[in-house]
Amino acid sequence: MMAGYALMLPVLTPIVAACVVLLHDGPRWRRGVMLGTSIFLVAVATWLLIIADGGAYRVYRLGDWPVPIGIVLVLDRLSAAMLLLSAIVGVLGAWRASDGTDRAAPHFHTLYLLQLAGLNGAFLAGDLFNLFVFFELLLIASYALVVYGSTTPRLRAGVHYVVLNLAGSSLFLVAIGVLYGVAGSLNLADLAVRIAAAPASDTALLRSGALLLLVVFALKAAAAPLSFWLPGAYTAAAPAVAALFAIMTKVGVYAIIRTGTLLFGSEAGAVANVYAPWLTGAAVATIAVGALAAFGATSVVRMVAALLVVSVGTMLCAVALFTEQALAAALFYLVHSTLAAAAMFLVAGMVPTRESTRVTTGTLFTIGALAIAGVPPLAGFLGKALILQATPPDARGLWIWSAVLGSSALAVIALARVGMASFWEVATVQELHDEAPIRTRPSSGYPAGGALLVIILLTVFAGPAGDYSRRTAQQLVTENGYVQAVLSTQGGR
Amino acid sequence: MIMLAVVLLPLLGSVIAIILRRKSPTLLAWSVAMPVISATVLLILQRPQGPEWMVRYAAWEWLPQLGLEFALRVDGLSWLFGMLILGIGLLILLYARYYMPADRSFARLLALLGVFMTAMLGLVMSDNLLLLVVFWEATSVSSFLLIGFKTYDGTARDGARLALTVTATGGLALLGGVLLLGHIAGSFSLGAVLGAGDQIRASPLYRPALILVLLGAFTKSAQFPFYFWLPRAMAAPTPVSAYLHSATMVKAGVFLLARLFPALSGTSDWTMIVGTVGAVTMLYGAYYALWQHDLKGLLAYSTISHLGLITLLFGFATPMAVAAAVFHVVNHAMFKASLFMAAGIIEQEVGTRDMRLLNGLYKFMPLTGTLAIIAAGAMAGVPLLNGFISKEMFFAEALTSNALGVRWLEPVAATIAGALGVAYSLRFIMEVFFNDEGRAHPKEPHEPPMFMRLPGGVLALACLAIGIAPALFITAPLVPAVSAVLQAEAPVFDLALWHGVNAPLLMTIVALVIGAVLFRQRDRLMAWRDRLPTVEFADTFLVTLQWSSIAAERMTRRMENGSLQRYVALLLGAALVVGVSPHLGVPMTWPDAGTLPDVASATVFVLLILSVIGTVRTIDTPVTALVSASVVGLLVSIIFARFAAPDLALTQLLVELVTILLVLLALPHLPAMPKILRSRSRAVRDALLAGGTGVGTSLLAWAVLTRPPVTMSGYYLEQALPKGGGRNVVNVILVDFRGFDTFGEVAVLGVAALGVAVVLQGWRSGPVARRAQRNRLAERHPLMLTVLAQALLPLALLMSAFVLLRGHDLPGGGFAAALLTAVALVVRSMVPASGAPVPRTRFALPRVIAIGLLVSAGTGAGSLLWGAPFLTSAYDYIVIPLIGKVPLSSSLVFDLGVYATVVAAVLLMLERFGALTTAEEPAPDSDAPPLLDEPMPVAVLERSS
Amino acid sequence: MNLLVAVVIGVLMGCGVLLLLRARIFPVLLGIMLVGYAVNLFLLASGRLGNTAPPIITEGGGPYADPLPQALVLTAIVIGFGMLALLVAIALKARQATGTDHVDGAEPREQGR
Repeated sequence: MMAGYALMLPVLTPIVAACVVLLHDGPRWRRGVMLGTSIFLVAVATWLLIIADGGAYRVYRLGDWPVPIGIVLVLDRLSAAMLLLSAIVGVLGAWRASDGTDRAAPHFHTLYLLQLAGLNGAFLAGDLFNLFVFFELLLIASYALVVYGSTTPRLRAGVHYVVLNLAGSSLFLVAIGVLYGVAGSLNLADLAVRIAAAPASDTALLRSGALLLLVVFALKAAAAPLSFWLPGAYTAAAPAVAALFAIMTKVGVYAIIRTGTLLFGSEAGAVANVYAPWLTGAAVATIAVGALAAFGATSVVRMVAALLVVSVGTMLCAVALFTEQALAAALFYLVHSTLAAAAMFLVAGMVPTRESTRVTTGTLFTIGALAIAGVPPLAGFLGKALILQATPPDARGLWIWSAVLGSSALAVIALARVGMASFWEVATVQELHDEAPIRTRPSSGYPAGGALLVIILLTVFAGPAGDYSRRTAQQLVTENGYVQAVLSTQGGR
Repeated sequence: MIMLAVVLLPLLGSVIAIILRRKSPTLLAWSVAMPVISATVLLILQRPQGPEWMVRYAAWEWLPQLGLEFALRVDGLSWLFGMLILGIGLLILLYARYYMPADRSFARLLALLGVFMTAMLGLVMSDNLLLLVVFWEATSVSSFLLIGFKTYDGTARDGARLALTVTATGGLALLGGVLLLGHIAGSFSLGAVLGAGDQIRASPLYRPALILVLLGAFTKSAQFPFYFWLPRAMAAPTPVSAYLHSATMVKAGVFLLARLFPALSGTSDWTMIVGTVGAVTMLYGAYYALWQHDLKGLLAYSTISHLGLITLLFGFATPMAVAAAVFHVVNHAMFKASLFMAAGIIEQEVGTRDMRLLNGLYKFMPLTGTLAIIAAGAMAGVPLLNGFISKEMFFAEALTSNALGVRWLEPVAATIAGALGVAYSLRFIMEVFFNDEGRAHPKEPHEPPMFMRLPGGVLALACLAIGIAPALFITAPLVPAVSAVLQAEAPVFDLALWHGVNAPLLMTIVALVIGAVLFRQRDRLMAWRDRLPTVEFADTFLVTLQWSSIAAERMTRRMENGSLQRYVALLLGAALVVGVSPHLGVPMTWPDAGTLPDVASATVFVLLILSVIGTVRTIDTPVTALVSASVVGLLVSIIFARFAAPDLALTQLLVELVTILLVLLALPHLPAMPKILRSRSRAVRDALLAGGTGVGTSLLAWAVLTRPPVTMSGYYLEQALPKGGGRNVVNVILVDFRGFDTFGEVAVLGVAALGVAVVLQGWRSGPVARRAQRNRLAERHPLMLTVLAQALLPLALLMSAFVLLRGHDLPGGGFAAALLTAVALVVRSMVPASGAPVPRTRFALPRVIAIGLLVSAGTGAGSLLWGAPFLTSAYDYIVIPLIGKVPLSSSLVFDLGVYATVVAAVLLMLERFGALTTAEEPAPDSDAPPLLDEPMPVAVLERSS
Repeated sequence: MNLLVAVVIGVLMGCGVLLLLRARIFPVLLGIMLVGYAVNLFLLASGRLGNTAPPIITEGGGPYADPLPQALVLTAIVIGFGMLALLVAIALKARQATGTDHVDGAEPREQGR
């Protein structure tokens, strides 16, 4: 397989880069390596996306051990898309961090790069335990990044964030234990086969294991009622870090989609679609909680965090349907909402600003607000429309429709309120933005502008993007495609 | 392509405006007007012709999956509206040039106006309903920005917020409705939807779709009860009010009624809802217009009333009514825009818009006055003016129609509305221009510059022209528009000034008379009105908005109350619920308890349980609790050993050691604080959760344990030696089969160490620490330990080397070895001789971490050179004296990397934690109580969470 | 035997959770440690327990214990250690910054006394 080692690059490059950063200090050098690597990752991800869009799954057997003995990395359209997305967000965050955030304490660049490595690993992992390991890698990096700079609110949020996620990791291990104990494998494809073939006596246990996994992923994705940790952590973190974290919740969503289609998909026999009933309720609840928080939010950062929660709920609404159309919609919206959240965290980091930059920031805010609220003309609107269109007009559909449309309305109203307070009635800016850092250089607007530019591109080229997500969804709903691809790869030894 | 140009040219204008923002206003105005003019020319060229008004289309793909096309059409309706938008737009640009102060804000206004024009043109020309929604919301947003143009003005901000809240929400309702229509019709293309009228009306989703769409239309066109945003929108600069809030944007709602007329109309639902809302709005607006003192306020309410009239006409749903509606849209746009401009002029020249302060302006500005009189006449429906003709048509329809079920209702309502219209039109003219009571004006009034008067004049004359010779001027554009609305041949209507004496004419006369009377009696009426309680709906709405956002904030804080315990409880609770749920209803098959445990393990288990409980019991005395916790760890490692996992036992033991060490070093900085008594409910909740998770885990474990083994370990056991070159299968798995996990795991440890370094960097510890430090140095190191430590070090190092090398065949491996080394170094350094509790390493530990990782990665990547995948191992045996035959495999090098990283990581952690106790100046929290082994007597209640 | 192991795991988990739900950082630390033990045992148990030989190949040895779970547990132990260390560090710093070791970084409102 020509592109075999290419699957390693997204994981290996940042790790190596992180080590290189450690070897020679000198802020310029370190910053350069960080930026260079993150840009390089975009290139790699693009390449992988092109490869993946060929339609064939790429399987990489580490250590050249036969499946399912060794660990495999698997590249399909979904993981490729996620890789590209995280690479782009990575660049934005790194760019923003380069205006001084990374000077607050040592090792920022190392932590940042390892966080990227963890993310990419999680998106590529074809093995349940390996997924766990990369979850831990991205988590521990994020722990260090959340408290980075050690301001009191960050530390306070950090303790919560860490303890909660440690509990989550323990749950993850228990779930792995159950699944391995019952199905006797860790390789996702192999697991899928074994789960589908499991005897009826194992059904209940398997369901327990599956749902424990769902809880773990829901925690990462910040789905209600496990969403309350997010605003604290994200509002406390530095803007650059928060921007990067916009992708973190999507790791949870990704894991839900992956396991929900592959392990517990329609072909999983007794445990088929075990996620769905729980997920819909959680999704709607998430939207409600988030919308309420957004409606009441008193500062831009809080609002963005709340709207991030809303967006997670919105895409989970679609994911919970597990139909091709819905998954396509969810993916399209996922990409947009991640970029929008990242952009808005960057903008939020800029308010309050001096008169001189107010118009610029205000414009950025307006565009970003349109994006994150998901109202026309930007791609968020398209995503929501796709989701609603994919929702059958039945009882459940009614819930989803009212949740999505209602939350959008609330978001618009709330954003208008906070936006006015931040840019129109300048008097109250100070009291409104206690969380946001005051001093910003005009230059710090560029990353935000870049993010918005990407969103606009996504809007203009919605057609191709939509096509891709449709193809991705097709790939996802034909589970045995993945299974066949992985299990049929012949091991060298 | 031309259509696209028509839509986008105004946008180009706004770009130009931004670029030239520093240039002179006149140049600016012209450079923005140019694209608009060219767009107008292009649109004129596109005018529908031919017998059946050929429709022009243009489409570009946007998001096919959604059925969203960038599709434009020019038919009679969109052409007429397009001309209104562009034509009046041009006049507005000219007017604004003189109205606006000549500063930077003018450029902003022009830019926003350009954006709005594009949005509005797109709205009326879009051939795809979703595209229409896109432009629809775009108009809402640009209108928001234009109303709030004077950002410093509180009323402007409120007006903007109000407008956005109402219209944007309505837009989302419209989106819902459109999606439903598309769902029914199977396409969002306008043609398809209009064609599927019967299908739509038959569908069970018709009613929700209709209501959602109407919500959109009514909010936009300020229909009752959503009218209240419009008067507040008057806080916008007058050109904006004239353009958006009388001539164009507010017409978008009625435009939508027209556009979807064939698809939605023709049901009793339609007639009832549209008709009623229209009638109520018409009367309500007219009534309130009567009482306004602010000129713009009067015009705003009159606009509401006229929009209601148009809506009512659509409610009648007869071809003639539609014709009248479209006609009135045009007329209203003309005279109302003209009147707004007049109001703006007056405000500029006199310095107030309050009719109570104005009088006798005619002698100061006769021209302006005359034009205003013409326009106001049209508004009142006076003969010889366009308003008269459409009013007549309206009266005629009102007489014939029976939409609302009661025969006399419409005519009466229509007449009353007409009368009120006459009254407030009279007021506008008389009180401003005549009945001179010699009141002093804030400014000495005089005529405005000619070009400021021109736009209003043009419109007024147009009113006159259409009013006198309608057939000549308006029939041509009107007929295709009407047929476009009806999607059928337009009815034959002869627009003429004189139809002879008929019922409508009588109604007009009645209206005129009553109106005049009302005006005469105005003082008495005012007095009566002032006694009535007045309620400003807009204010209540704004207050509610404010209040509810505060409430939302409170509720959020209630839920998201920053209590870790709640979040953890939620997580565990969720896990418990979903974990248990599958087993409900499933008959529980109790597996047999299995073999009795041998005495040894039994005792271990019992001891374990006891020490666990001990830990919980003594939790308030940290050191004791820590000790018993470490006992637990010890016993766990014994259990590992018992169940044939020597590697785990070894590792667990070492990790335990280091962990306890870390916590010990940290303890002095976690002084015991007052104990927290939990409320009863909390205690119960915690107990339940703990019990639940405990029992749940037990059952899970038991269920798994008692299942027949399903595993893939066979392969590992068989192939470890031949292919992995190691007897210790666990180690082979770690460094070879699943080396990638280990790679990641080591990275995690490295990050952890770096994280610790970052977090504890620049730590300044308080007196507590200093005390603890002194104690440590003073008492904690009996000679015995010192000697032992000294002796241990080399031994330990040798040992660890051994463990590392033999790890592939015997329990051990890089990780265990590394811990061994680290521990040895630390123990060694614990002795007073070496001063600090942790060695001051000579080389930078982070670098070692990096190097270790690079070595591991390097060995992994090395295999790439042979074309084999990452981490592919190769090995051979070599003999080393004393140690014997060891497999020198690439995985050993990999393990070396692991070793280096782990040693460095652990040492780095210990170094940082050790550094805690080397004290510098006191920290802010120097009042923290010292660490005691007894819990402090004082206690506080936990807040409920 | 199995039953007893299961019980032990349960006790560890239960008590760990109990401590995890406390308000002070120190109990939470120990709680996490206990939960960690429980999870590791659980993971080991997922490979079934019995009177088997350690998975170290010897001529004619066996039956061997399932090596895979052991490897997983080993990884889990290491990761758990790293996490705990970082948590302790963050907790210390938070303790210093907020002046309290309440996990919410603020003393609960004084009530009922």
